[in-house]
Amino acid sequence: MRRGLISRSKAELPDAVLEARIARLRAAMGAAGLDKLIVYTNNTRPAGVSWLTGFVPYWSEALLVVPMDDAPVLVAALSHRVKGWIEATSRIGEVIHSPRIGFAAAGLIAASKADAAVGIADLEGLPAGISDDLREGGPRLILSDATALFAPLRGTADSTEIALATKAAAIAQRALAQGSSRASLGEIIAAIEAQTRGEGAEEIYVAAAPDLKRDRRLRRIEGEAALGDTFAVRATVAYKGTWIRVLRTLTRDGSVIPEEAARARLATAVAKLPSEDDFAGFSSWLVEGCRIAQPLEPLIGSRVGTLHPLAPGALVSVQASLEVDGAPLLIGAPALIGKDGEAASLLVQPF
Amino acid sequence: MLAQERRRRLLGAMADAAIEHVVLYGNAWQGDYLRYATDFGILEGHGLALVSSDGTTELFLDSATEAERAESEAPENKIYVAADIARAVAARLDRVANHRLAAAPRRFLPTWLADNARGFVLEDATALLDRLLLHKLPAEIAALRRAAQMADDAFAVFREAVRPGRRQYEIVADIEAYLRRRGCPDNFMIIGSGGTDVLGMTPPSERRVVRGDLVTTELTPAVDGYFAQICRTLVVGRATAAQRRAFDVFREALAAGIAAVRPGATAAGVARAENDVFRKYGLGDYTTSKWTRVRGHGLGLFCDSKPHLLEDVNTPLTPGMALIVHPNTYHPDVGYIVLGDAVVVTQEGADVLCRTPRELFEVAA
Repeated sequence: MRRGLISRSKAELPDAVLEARIARLRAAMGAAGLDKLIVYTNNTRPAGVSWLTGFVPYWSEALLVVPMDDAPVLVAALSHRVKGWIEATSRIGEVIHSPRIGFAAAGLIAASKADAAVGIADLEGLPAGISDDLREGGPRLILSDATALFAPLRGTADSTEIALATKAAAIAQRALAQGSSRASLGEIIAAIEAQTRGEGAEEIYVAAAPDLKRDRRLRRIEGEAALGDTFAVRATVAYKGTWIRVLRTLTRDGSVIPEEAARARLATAVAKLPSEDDFAGFSSWLVEGCRIAQPLEPLIGSRVGTLHPLAPGALVSVQASLEVDGAPLLIGAPALIGKDGEAASLLVQPF
Repeated sequence: MLAQERRRRLLGAMADAAIEHVVLYGNAWQGDYLRYATDFGILEGHGLALVSSDGTTELFLDSATEAERAESEAPENKIYVAADIARAVAARLDRVANHRLAAAPRRFLPTWLADNARGFVLEDATALLDRLLLHKLPAEIAALRRAAQMADDAFAVFREAVRPGRRQYEIVADIEAYLRRRGCPDNFMIIGSGGTDVLGMTPPSERRVVRGDLVTTELTPAVDGYFAQICRTLVVGRATAAQRRAFDVFREALAAGIAAVRPGATAAGVARAENDVFRKYGLGDYTTSKWTRVRGHGLGLFCDSKPHLLEDVNTPLTPGMALIVHPNTYHPDVGYIVLGDAVVVTQEGADVLCRTPRELFEVAA
């Protein structure tokens, strides 16, 4: 549970973009007959509220209440002492602090309309204690699941989100480029961590497969791990609320591996998405993206099948395992699913 | 192995309570219940573990990336990836609906799973798990000692990293890189810098450190999943007389709090001992929730475990509990100050794990 720089950049996440997202949400709410919409956020499910406000919780949890005709209100379990930090790092009309965020949010809504129609994004996944408190705080509120309303909006990237993802990916690329010149896996991970955070990333998770000939599975490294001749490192980077993964294969002695061939195969397969046809030759593959609030939720892949169809215009991260000239390679990068007749494409190259 | 010892203890507690299956929820923020049973440190998405009285543990994760990691890092569990872990677990529970079932922590369970309309009844096992999390095994204490050593070492790096002109996030980057180099994968760290304008600590900002700043940090590395914390304050340049006078109050309060840690005392008693020092100097207002959250808290598989050290929390202290005692708060003359040490409750009192001196450190301006 670590976080790096959390800050608001009005140049990179302009007010007008947040206003436009909220306007699209309100239009959908109006069509659905909702008075308010609630989105939950915590450390691992931040991407719904951050998309609407820029707010990223480093800790604790909160509910964003979006009214039809007023600025969004954040009901946060964080203490009053960090109100200034929340206001400085996000665009929210009002911040209310309460240890029982469900109770407080329901009370706030019920005070203006006791029987308001309230949609909740991912109601079924909401923590049960918060659901209980919503019902207790607003016993006449009409609560409904608004996932079907929210997910299509959140799951389609606008140019601002694409730009943030591109920057996050560039940070990850530069960090992973340092991988071959270090003596140990600990040194490599430390260098990636320092580089990524030093460039202002909000979060960086590093996973590695230390010896690809023995095991292709990527794991978090605790303690020491011996490096094989060929290894893989994945950087999962968050920048201003936007998450991506970049994965590449490296060699301990800097010798050449057929990365170019792997990159070409990945680019070809991605271009066919949402068709899975060109992934048939891969050992395994996975496409992840944000639908509601989890930044990188599995969508489709060799292990999971089709959990959620890829939406046109969705920002995703693709990981794949393949063999080139008999050598195992892991590769991955963010991609944009095509829309309006355009083919899907990698947002950046993995290296 | 520590994980196996924990599992045996959990199964024993389940047997004592006649519970046949327990569902444990976890995410990266609130991961201690899940980790206790599975030894998996979840990072992304959320997970549910189903622990059965025959010793099997099934781990349901909604992230395929995390499922692959779990298979490598915690192979003793049966791993499943499911888009809807609540329904996946419910399908499993439906087959044993006539057994005695429980779940923890109930308030974090997905709403759909906790709904009374399901075909099974989940009793609340939160208190049962809390007792296990609260009272540590010797091997858990050993992990906390290693984590406290890591915290001491990382604070030494922090002292070197703080220099005028550096931004807060650059300083934190140095610490996180140091911890990864040491093979420490997780850390909870917040920071503050400035003067009377600073009311607390947050994640790092772009603010540059300047001469005269008080720089505060709460540094909490995890070893084998166990978080140990240290809180220290340093001054950029020479400390002023006012800063030293203020710091002396915190040093006295920390000593009083640690002296109050003993079997038979309560969390409230420790908080009261700390706060009485502030009250003695006319600073009682700064012990209230307006200025400070808690006067310390439990440590373990979560960095902010129970019990919270507050004057209205009457949890009794017993040997095997681990705490951070930290009278962190705002001082009206100089700003926010932190000072805290991780301790273990023993028969003799507090065994202080942190070795860093309780000084107001000065770094070159």
